[in-house]
Amino acid sequence: MTAPLSFSDAGLPEQPGVLLVDDDEVNLLMTAVALRGRGFAITEASSGERALELLAHWTPDIIVLDALMPGLDGFATCRALRKMAGFENVPVLMLTGLDDDASITRAYQAGATDFYVKATQWSLLAGRLQYLLRASRTRIELERSKAKLGRAQDLARMGSFDWRRAEGGLAMSPEGLRVFGFGPPDRVSLRQLLRMVPRDDRRAFLRLLHDVLRHSSVLATDVPIHLWDGRQRIIHVEAEPEFNDHGHGAGYTGIVQDVTDRRIAEDKIRHLANFDALTGLPNRRQLIWRAERALEHARRLQHQFALLLIDLDRFKIINDTLGHSAGDDLLMEVARRLRGCVRHSDQILEGALEAAGSRSHRSLEAVGRLGGDEFVALLPEVGDDDDAARVAQRVLEVMREPIFVSGQECFVTASVGVAIFPRDGATVADLIRNSDVAMYSVKNQGRNASAVYSSQLAGQGREKLELETALHKAIERHELVLHYQPKIDVRQARMVGAEALMRWNRNGRLVPPNDFIPLAEETGLIVPLSEWALREAARQAKAWQTSFGFSDSIAVNLPSNLFSRSDLIEHIHQCVTAFNVPHRVIMLEITESSLMKDLQDVIPALHRLNEIGVEIAIDDFGTGYSSLAYLTTLPISELKIDRGFVRDLGITPQSSAVVQAIIALARALGLRVIAEGVETLRQMEVLHRLGCGAMQGFLFSRPIPADDLEAWLLQTVLPRQAPWIGQASELEFGADLGRAAGGRLL
Amino acid sequence: MNAKPTSSAAAPLILDEKALAVLRELDPDGRHGVLLRVMRTFESSLLRLMTQTVEARDRGDLEAARHIAHTLKSSSASVGALALSACCGDVERMVRTGDTADIGARLENLLSEGERALAAVRAMLRT
Repeated sequence: MTAPLSFSDAGLPEQPGVLLVDDDEVNLLMTAVALRGRGFAITEASSGERALELLAHWTPDIIVLDALMPGLDGFATCRALRKMAGFENVPVLMLTGLDDDASITRAYQAGATDFYVKATQWSLLAGRLQYLLRASRTRIELERSKAKLGRAQDLARMGSFDWRRAEGGLAMSPEGLRVFGFGPPDRVSLRQLLRMVPRDDRRAFLRLLHDVLRHSSVLATDVPIHLWDGRQRIIHVEAEPEFNDHGHGAGYTGIVQDVTDRRIAEDKIRHLANFDALTGLPNRRQLIWRAERALEHARRLQHQFALLLIDLDRFKIINDTLGHSAGDDLLMEVARRLRGCVRHSDQILEGALEAAGSRSHRSLEAVGRLGGDEFVALLPEVGDDDDAARVAQRVLEVMREPIFVSGQECFVTASVGVAIFPRDGATVADLIRNSDVAMYSVKNQGRNASAVYSSQLAGQGREKLELETALHKAIERHELVLHYQPKIDVRQARMVGAEALMRWNRNGRLVPPNDFIPLAEETGLIVPLSEWALREAARQAKAWQTSFGFSDSIAVNLPSNLFSRSDLIEHIHQCVTAFNVPHRVIMLEITESSLMKDLQDVIPALHRLNEIGVEIAIDDFGTGYSSLAYLTTLPISELKIDRGFVRDLGITPQSSAVVQAIIALARALGLRVIAEGVETLRQMEVLHRLGCGAMQGFLFSRPIPADDLEAWLLQTVLPRQAPWIGQASELEFGADLGRAAGGRLL
Repeated sequence: MNAKPTSSAAAPLILDEKALAVLRELDPDGRHGVLLRVMRTFESSLLRLMTQTVEARDRGDLEAARHIAHTLKSSSASVGALALSACCGDVERMVRTGDTADIGARLENLLSEGERALAAVRAMLRT
């Protein structure tokens, strides 16, 4: 009687609760005793009615029913309890007589789980009960795991289906139905589902289905569908074939999953990785990928392809003047226009391009953004240079229309460099570098044009190229600074202006102007450099105005080709407007030699500059061959006596004669005159005696940073501490004396 | 009629030893008194069923008789009253097959075997 359970299955109740129902009290007692001895907890009921009463309040692990009982017999009891909530799956063992085949059938019909022929072999009965309990537990676990799977599938927007070839039917799980927007009671046919696929995709999908069926292969694909409410989803379908005993494909079993969100996320990631966030154009990575493919195609199919490097002119200045957000707006508009210049394809290209056939490289054609204001147009197949040149010309043309940003009309031009495979480079890197060389040659020659690469262009040499590249970046890296040399009126011992001189702080070393200005002029970089200088000078004028009431002008040196640029006036206007200073704070210096060289081109600009209040000084005067006839008509304000003459003052009588002549000329023309390179008191004294009171040079101050200049004013000029001030005062006479001694020194 | 079974008329009955052995197996050391409990249960059940048999016979309710016979068939076999069990089997089968011409005699037979079994059980309970 104390025998333990013969099966100690994990997960089974320690003492399974058994409801034992038998009208034969003897048998009931014996069975109860026998089963208790085998570890079951027995509750006895001597009739079906009594059993149902008990079940109203209690759920046993298993129910054992005698089939034949007076009143409610085993079958009726079983039917009744199966209808009770919670008893749908409780195992019921029906006890029958050995000679009672009919009862066995009836037992199953009534919902019994199993039958057992009454006998006194109690161990067999106990074993059967254990078996039924295990089966029931397994069944419960299966139900739970099905429910879990259902929940998991719902969460994953996934469902399963079976498709039988013979029955031609599709059985979709409730979760699967939900994926397609149906409810559990809906029946849905394969035909119905196919109708949800947009027509074009449907045709391709059907082709795939036929193919898969013919080969009994695995199906795995994504299909777009329209739900009944109009929403578009992407459904992943994955199914594998099932075979019958003869090895014939009998059907398919598989899953469907709504992968729309994942696809959107994937597309987004792919887009972010391949496209420029600002302009939506292919980015550097995507461009290079496309260029590599284009190169492979061109090599294989023996044709040429072209790479156009498009760099906006003076974008930096627009960005600085109007702000970055305006700069972004401008880039977006430029991107939009550039797209129109080629058969732009936005397709993300990463996978198999080959499938699309031999002309597939056409889809590589695009405009992309390399970064900053640099764009690339990729022409995967060109017949000759002219094809590429035509596109370059189109690029220049689309830029002609003004672009409105921040309520302003901006005129943007571009410089385009073209490199053609295979002639101008065998690799994408070579092609990009050489298109860059071509692009810079355009910048040199005044921008707003295009050029095809040639080996002569590359002759500039590597070192120079490096310096040039570094110089190119110098502006955006804020490596350039302006130093200022004061212009002094020695009679009044006061500063009457300053000349701005550019310095390049390269890797912590100050590069002297002689080492980079010639290169900048040669490469055209002098243009952005000068434009930066103008802007910086305007900024500084404002800063000084605020700090000590500066109201003179800052002179900026410009090469003559800048004067011939139509946008110079506009640029100066933008600079002074940006800092809210009058136009006259900017003075422009042009060397005599360059002025005379480009005289015809420069004259109109000089007039216009003069009109808006920007004065012009002629630098290094006396060294060139000025046409005196022109000089009388030019709208200039100041002559700067070349340092060479000043240096020799008091040493050679000729220099003194030249200086005297220049001063006389200036007087005659009504121009101011100023001497450069004044280093000694003697030179100052001679100049003064000759009638030139305005000077600049080391005697007064070297070119110094803006802050130092302010300090110099405060510590040297104001307290009248410098040796030249005493000297100058002694030279002073007449009305000027009073002013020099007075308070208005600055 | 006379519902009370008579206690004479037949030779004393010996309960089948094999059946008793099965019962003893349920309670090998007799700790739970299973044998006596079974006998007592059988005694009261037998008395009740015999009364019901008489009533069924008097009413001519063969279906009731069949149910009684079915129940008594297995419980009498359990306690080793094999002759009674056989009688019950006969009655049950006759009713089920509709071969009821001789049913009166069979029921009498069942009742008299019941009496013998009752006596045997009581004798056992007395010891």
